[in-house]
Amino acid sequence: MSSSEWERVERLLNRVERPARYIDHEWGASREPGFNYRAVLLYPDTYELGMANQAISILYERLNAADEVLAERCFLPWIDMAAAMREEDIPLFGLETGLAVRDADLFGITLPYELTYTNILEALDLAGIPLRARDRGEGDPVVLGGGPCAYNPEPIAEFFDAILIGEGEEAILEIANVHRRARDGGADRVGILRELARLDGVYVPRFYQPVRDAEGALTGVVADTGITPVVNKRVLADLDTFRAPTCPVVPFMDVVHDRASVEILRGCTRGCRFCQAGMVYRPVRERSADSIVRDAIASLKCTGYDEVSLTSLSTTDHSQLEDVLRRLTRRLEGKGISVSVPSLRVDAFSIDMARLVGGGRKSGLTFAPEAGTQRLRDVINKNVTEEELLGTVRHAFDAGWRRVKLYFMLGLPTETDADVLGISDLVRKVSDEARSCVEPSQRGSIRIAVSVSVFVPKAHTPFQWDPQLPRDEIGRRQDLLRSSMPRKGIELSWHEADVSFLEAVMARGGREIADAIEAAWRTGAVFDAWTERFDIGTWLGAFASVGVDPASVAVGEKSSNEILPWDHISCGVSRAYLARERERASEASTTSDCSFDGCTGCDACDELGVEIVLGGGTRGAR
Amino acid sequence: MPATNSESKSSLGVAHVAPGEFRLRIAYQKIGRLRFLSHLEVLRAMERAARRADLPYSVTKGFSPHMKLAFGPALPVGTAGEREYVDIWLTTYEPAEGLAGRLREASVSDLAPVAAGFVAAGEPSLTAACTIAEYEVIVGGDGARGTALAESLKTLVDSREFAVEHKGKKKVFDLARSLPKEHRVESCGRGATVDLIVRMGPEGSLRPDVFVREAILRASIDASIDTVTRTGTLIEDSEGAWRRPL
Ligand code: SF4
Repeated sequence: MSSSEWERVERLLNRVERPARYIDHEWGASREPGFNYRAVLLYPDTYELGMANQAISILYERLNAADEVLAERCFLPWIDMAAAMREEDIPLFGLETGLAVRDADLFGITLPYELTYTNILEALDLAGIPLRARDRGEGDPVVLGGGPCAYNPEPIAEFFDAILIGEGEEAILEIANVHRRARDGGADRVGILRELARLDGVYVPRFYQPVRDAEGALTGVVADTGITPVVNKRVLADLDTFRAPTCPVVPFMDVVHDRASVEILRGCTRGCRFCQAGMVYRPVRERSADSIVRDAIASLKCTGYDEVSLTSLSTTDHSQLEDVLRRLTRRLEGKGISVSVPSLRVDAFSIDMARLVGGGRKSGLTFAPEAGTQRLRDVINKNVTEEELLGTVRHAFDAGWRRVKLYFMLGLPTETDADVLGISDLVRKVSDEARSCVEPSQRGSIRIAVSVSVFVPKAHTPFQWDPQLPRDEIGRRQDLLRSSMPRKGIELSWHEADVSFLEAVMARGGREIADAIEAAWRTGAVFDAWTERFDIGTWLGAFASVGVDPASVAVGEKSSNEILPWDHISCGVSRAYLARERERASEASTTSDCSFDGCTGCDACDELGVEIVLGGGTRGAR
Repeated sequence: MPATNSESKSSLGVAHVAPGEFRLRIAYQKIGRLRFLSHLEVLRAMERAARRADLPYSVTKGFSPHMKLAFGPALPVGTAGEREYVDIWLTTYEPAEGLAGRLREASVSDLAPVAAGFVAAGEPSLTAACTIAEYEVIVGGDGARGTALAESLKTLVDSREFAVEHKGKKKVFDLARSLPKEHRVESCGRGATVDLIVRMGPEGSLRPDVFVREAILRASIDASIDTVTRTGTLIEDSEGAWRRPL
């Protein structure tokens, strides 16, 4: 951006809230001169949410380290800034050099959450790029998606030229190189996309056609000639091949997860049957203790943060966690720098680890029993017993904690009223257990936060065929739970049922959903993930206007042999395994964690040619 | 910009500070687009820079130990500062020049130290001591070029009192006290430059942008404030003399 262009942006900053979202110049921001390939990486929400995204940070570092490539960050301007930019005719730009997104070679958009889909359209529109891939011309950037929502890309497939399925460390540079070569060789847009479609893990939606029968039911998604019929996810064989980003951009603004972080393992095979992350990130691969310690120290040194978080889906499962924490706390002693461990397992070991890093700090512990009865916990394969939970709570309150947070899910397959009441019952027992560990005079400080979400059936899980409950039935069960929940010291919070309903539509829908997303955006839906912005009315109107019944998508049950909109996308876990797991769920029979107890036959390792990697060789008994 | 610190270990330094703690005063700039940072953002950025520079900072005791440092009067979002101050307490002595150099290397240029030196442990805090602020307000637009702005400002000052409303609360400034020195208006490329010296205090300080905006409004001219910069902050001693904190 020339200085006169920046002056135009700068003039807007006096009239928008939180101008620090748009000013760049943070420590670690890249502005390397000399490049012939330009990428802009968008997180489709605000700066303060996007700066926490590790995928963006990894891709940013990988691209900027490559020869003659410049990658810039971009976040969706908040409503006030977007309005000001439209008024002044300023197109969406990358933060680092102010490059207009439409002039970039590659516009990478991460797909963190279904409720950011309208934000993607808002970004494309602000950038001046046609919303649908088929309407884009030779001068437009290649719009590339990727991230958690890519495992059912169909609702947004038409907005993307290409979507990367799976992990991006290696793939992003292959994509950039193939694109650059094809571009320099004079290939046209379709030619470039054909080249990209040859890369493992790259899905180019325009080369796949959904086929429907006379009733409109999906009978398959057929690939064009020469295009792979099923796109397998990309996966790193060994996390240690790449260092965690040690010099990420350090924001000025207060952002979520404002700390250094090292991803210490990827994948989780506990096998909760509702959990998409637990299926699509298989197999488990741990970073070694030596590289975790090295990267944590390097990252603190380079960023100046006062906290480093050891992140993953299940940090306390790492086979060398204790070793890592002891080494880190010793090296950081006396510096006012702390280590944090998110996502605790329900066991005494986890409490000991929290105590090791927390020192005097006892902020709060979080556990996720998910269901209130043993039967339902067995159905969902949440291998936690009531005794284990109560024992862990006792251990935590004995060690000085006064706050715990418990996560539950309502509307899980096979749930009955007895299971709903079981949640209240379990909370009561947790509360009694906590009180019994604490002096009577201190019992007033005990807080048990209970957070209840609504089951959303997700692609590539054993429950992908199961329906979400109708909204009025969810309401009835919420009432039942509310009226039976103990009050003293309990803080009950809900996940909006309407939001979960929309999530389910997006998570299970096919390409027919695209028109509704566009209609919703055209009638004002944007930043839907922000509670104060979400309006189910706008969405229902949008679905009606394009003739799609959202309830049939979210609430309809599917048979195990039905063709699913995402059948041409594979995360390695076989459909047969998912069906078998669903069968076992109906028998309330559990399946063990392969990273502790040996392979349970999900096929991911064979299919993807990788295997479990454990830093310490084995994982101990739980 | 090179550090302009002149203190050395012998001339000030160690004799004046508590044993085991050294109070390093840093003058820094917050300029360019980083003027849009809030005080809290500046504070966090400065702490991070100090850690990157590996300054031998002291850590407070207690439940959540943190770096010991104290800032001068806050700058609002959008206002630049050419010479703002922060004190950082250190556990070991090193020459201020070297510390400032390291900190500068660990900082982005628009938010970086311009000078540093040690001050005595017993010196009053920066927020209490710094009561005078010098501002430069640049007013752009054709309407700023004539004499109307200067006349309007003069009328405003002569009216002796200035009332502002903030969050429903009305506040009246005694201008003889709030503006301890006569302001200056000069024409410049973009319009006009207004130099104002404002007295700050615990009871609240007159905001130069609010004052100048009122003058623009009353003059009914086509002009608007481009930038506001605090060019200096001064300490007023008991005799009424002004000096720089560093
Ligand atoms: S194939 Fe076996 S070892 Fe590999 S992730 Fe699946 S269950 Fe685990």
